[in-house]
Amino acid sequence: MQWNEENGLLLIPLGLGWLAVWWLMPAVKQRPRILGGLSALAAVLMMQMMLLPPAGEPVRNGLFFLFAAAAVLSAGLMITDKNPVYSALWFALVTLAVCGLFLLNSAPFLAASTIIVYAGAIIVTFLFVIMLAQQSGTTSSYDQQPFQPGVASFVAFVLLGALLFTLQEWGGIDGKNLSDDARPGQFVAMPAGINPNPLSQAPSDNPHEIGSLRVLGRSLFGDYLFAVELAGTVLLIATIGAIAIAPRRSQGTL
Amino acid sequence: MTATALESQLVVGATLFILGMIGFLTRRNLILIMLSAELMLHGVSVNLTAFSRYHGNPQGQVFTIFVLTIAACEAGLALSLILSLYQRRKSLDVFLWGKLGEDDLPVLSSPIAPASAAQADPNVDLPHLTPAGRMPKTQSGTQAKT
Repeated sequence: MQWNEENGLLLIPLGLGWLAVWWLMPAVKQRPRILGGLSALAAVLMMQMMLLPPAGEPVRNGLFFLFAAAAVLSAGLMITDKNPVYSALWFALVTLAVCGLFLLNSAPFLAASTIIVYAGAIIVTFLFVIMLAQQSGTTSSYDQQPFQPGVASFVAFVLLGALLFTLQEWGGIDGKNLSDDARPGQFVAMPAGINPNPLSQAPSDNPHEIGSLRVLGRSLFGDYLFAVELAGTVLLIATIGAIAIAPRRSQGTL
Repeated sequence: MTATALESQLVVGATLFILGMIGFLTRRNLILIMLSAELMLHGVSVNLTAFSRYHGNPQGQVFTIFVLTIAACEAGLALSLILSLYQRRKSLDVFLWGKLGEDDLPVLSSPIAPASAAQADPNVDLPHLTPAGRMPKTQSGTQAKT
């Protein structure tokens, strides 16, 4: 019973979210979308009420909740839209909102590069493929019949509930542990007798500097130089593979 | 007290991941499946940057840069695969690709080849594999018909 009192409140937004996703999924018989939208709004608002930190800067918290709600609602609309072109555009909105969250997490370089890579390259390429493949403009039958939307979203929301309950046990999303100031990383202890890499020292005491280009570049090319080389190799191999897989013009165009 | 609570960022990341998982499981359009995978990567990136700010070191952001690299590779490869799949079946439905075997290859476990194998090939658009290696001898001395 004590468990119910502590955690039972989480079940309401979870159930509402499941209902919203299931209701908004495209179906052969058209459902009124306003009910699903209202349910999704109620779920997001309830989650924000539960997540509201009691103290802090109001501007920063307001921006965080704005970006978070935009990201979650756009993601829900993206996976439930009938038209894949609209889905790609909703995904662009999710990317912009996530970049706002990156900015709040003091990662301006990461936000800029995410916008360039995702909105500038990936979504445009997806839109090109959609336009090549679906030139008729009508929504196909397979876009209107998702595969078992009720069961899949139920299982996914059960997983989300498990994650949220674990979070609540761990720190308390209802404000049990709010000491959230940036602290020096201590969970990687350097073994004795090994000289630490001078490039990867803690750069300064200013917590707002962790996303700057100087610190990021030092970490990338100091600690993770081997991984950077590997990532470059992976990019090269992916380019070669994409060129090899893509259909030739001699095999007939789309 | 300058930071938004870490837990709320983790909640946002988990929600994005779960929504991407729902899209990955339910939608039947190949392009939407790949977009949902990218959505799951976004959720992971939010988690990584939140922990990077929480611990005050740039490692989470470096990991996010690597996630970005892998996402770009994955998008390029997936789109070329989708194009070549679309060229074979003229549809983006993932249910058309549910069967993995070929009908005209001999079934080696049964001594009698199915009679329907000699008829018209139903999978003209699939790449054809020629049987390689030696045919194993069965006990009764009859060989499977190739």
